[in-house]
Amino acid sequence: MRHEVAHGGYTAAQDVGLPPSRHREPINSAAESGTVTWVGLGIAEIAARVGGLIRQGLPLSVVLTTLCQLFDAAVKGFSSRILLLDPTAARARNTAGSYLAAGYMKELAAASAAPGFMLYELSPILSLTGDPLGIFALYRRECSPEVTRCHSALIPQFIHVAGAAIERMQSDEALKRNAALLERTQQLSSTCCFSWRVETGEISWSKELCQLFELDPSGVPVTLQLIGTRIHSEDLATFHEMIERARSGVSDIEFEHRLRLPDNSVKYLRVVAHRVRDQEGQLEYIGAVQDVTHRRHTEEALAKLRAELARAARVTSLGVLTAAIAHEVNQPLAGIVTNANTCRRMLAVDPPDIEGARETARRTIRDAERASEVVKRLRALFCKKGATRESLDLNEAIREVVALSLSELERNKVVVRMELAGELPRVHGDRVQLQQVILNLFLNASDAMSGVDDRPRQLMVKTERDEEDRVRLSVRDTGVGIEPQGVDRLFDAFYTTKSGGMGIGLSVSRSIIESHKGRLWATPNDGPGATFAFSMPCGPQDAMARHVRNL
Amino acid sequence: MSVPVKRPLVSVVDDDESVRESLPDLLRELGYSVRAFSSAEAFLASECVGETRCLILDIAMPGMTGPALQQELLVRGQAIPIVYITAQADEIVDSSSLGQGAVACLFKPFSDTALFEALNAVFRVN
Repeated sequence: MRHEVAHGGYTAAQDVGLPPSRHREPINSAAESGTVTWVGLGIAEIAARVGGLIRQGLPLSVVLTTLCQLFDAAVKGFSSRILLLDPTAARARNTAGSYLAAGYMKELAAASAAPGFMLYELSPILSLTGDPLGIFALYRRECSPEVTRCHSALIPQFIHVAGAAIERMQSDEALKRNAALLERTQQLSSTCCFSWRVETGEISWSKELCQLFELDPSGVPVTLQLIGTRIHSEDLATFHEMIERARSGVSDIEFEHRLRLPDNSVKYLRVVAHRVRDQEGQLEYIGAVQDVTHRRHTEEALAKLRAELARAARVTSLGVLTAAIAHEVNQPLAGIVTNANTCRRMLAVDPPDIEGARETARRTIRDAERASEVVKRLRALFCKKGATRESLDLNEAIREVVALSLSELERNKVVVRMELAGELPRVHGDRVQLQQVILNLFLNASDAMSGVDDRPRQLMVKTERDEEDRVRLSVRDTGVGIEPQGVDRLFDAFYTTKSGGMGIGLSVSRSIIESHKGRLWATPNDGPGATFAFSMPCGPQDAMARHVRNL
Repeated sequence: MSVPVKRPLVSVVDDDESVRESLPDLLRELGYSVRAFSSAEAFLASECVGETRCLILDIAMPGMTGPALQQELLVRGQAIPIVYITAQADEIVDSSSLGQGAVACLFKPFSDTALFEALNAVFRVN
């Protein structure tokens, strides 16, 4: 019998957009009568009309007023009214006659005071789970007849429709409130969210994320490929690596990458995602993306300041050091010059003072030895321990230097390209010293390009095995270049073409390379810029291996 | 060879032994009588203060420095012309010191001509 109720209860609830009623028992009374005949619209039509109003987005008060008007039109001599319970107010308990919080009785009393009407019936409007949502109040015109049987069957159905409408709209509102809250929170924390179903590739992105990536939210659906077009070329590898990790099903993903937007601006993003299984058990990642550009810029500015400070400190300490060296060396030099002058004068007189001259010559030699002692001590100071030689991979050394200097190079808008030979023999040397040389060549290249704006500032570092079976490393820039006649002077100590330079870098670099039985040289490029390169012998093991192969 | 009957006394004050050994010989060759001291304190304690016509004075010394000695001599009312010598280029005697009896400042190593000119300036003034 019960499914017949569908005519009223089920359909009505579904039209309003709710699952079928389980608790609204009063509808059974309509079922008992078999068919319901009454004036005006059928309950199904009323439910459909209310559902339409809800979908139009009209406020709850308008929807409920319309519902009451439909009831009043259907049931002559009666007037209905709906009072809503404030969800934040004290909850009425389902005990006899006490659905209502005390405050609502005043409302009812006021309502009943409408002239010519008297309160006929009060019924609770309940949610699906039996919580009170409001009160359906029915008033009878003073001279009207009693409510008919068919009318009394209609009342619970109306209450059911009202309940469904209230519940649906309140949950819609709660959803809207939550969505608004989420949006606001996202704005406040510069965070956007996304979900990604790994199997289907289905990606749902928030509007804010589309804005962040500068993608058209109404355009084509977001795909990994589309996202890839915005990823900074240098971070693409990291991005794809993360995608692969996700496909393998790791539980948490966390990484940072940059975006290159159509206007060439760069954004720094931090991505955090967590693995979940959706209802069908499919792998899905829910994640948040935070725009950390501002933070990164601050960090970069800080790093720049720190680097400048370190440079200033280095120059200052070099200045102090130079003064100390000068003092130590100048003392014996003064003795040498004075002694030699005295000697010359003693020999110039007639008769020459041979004994005095001999004594001054002896002191000249002694002072010269003192000066050379000072130099020896200084060298001992700077080479406290002997250079540590080990077998090392020059490519690896280069990668480390690139990693260290990348932020400095990027700050100077230098693009680094690497062409590292695949099977480069290992060399035997001091890793730190060789890396100092490489770093020096990088920074020189970067400095040489600092004024270049009409072409890309490109630094190309290349390794290869040369014709003499040695390992060659070259650093090619697109900077101001070098004068062919000035090439040899470049490596002189204290020779510099840079305003802020000390002119030590290249001479020190050359001495380091020479101590590795290598050679460091510079050549002007055919195009703009210069190439600095060094070559050095392969390490003993590689040399041995080749020797064996050649036998 | 014309030797002055009374050779003026030049005192050398320097903590560096090379200078104390080499400079007196050169000064004697230039015609002065010379005394060398390893510190400002040693010079002040000697009987030569009143007799010294020119002081060749190192700036940076342990204990009393060159300029401190100059101040001490001014306080004592001993106006001795001073030729400063220094191994550090940035240790330049300020102009107020130069005005108060310091005639020149020579940077080590200095040539005999530079020394000769400085002494000439001292004794011409005298």
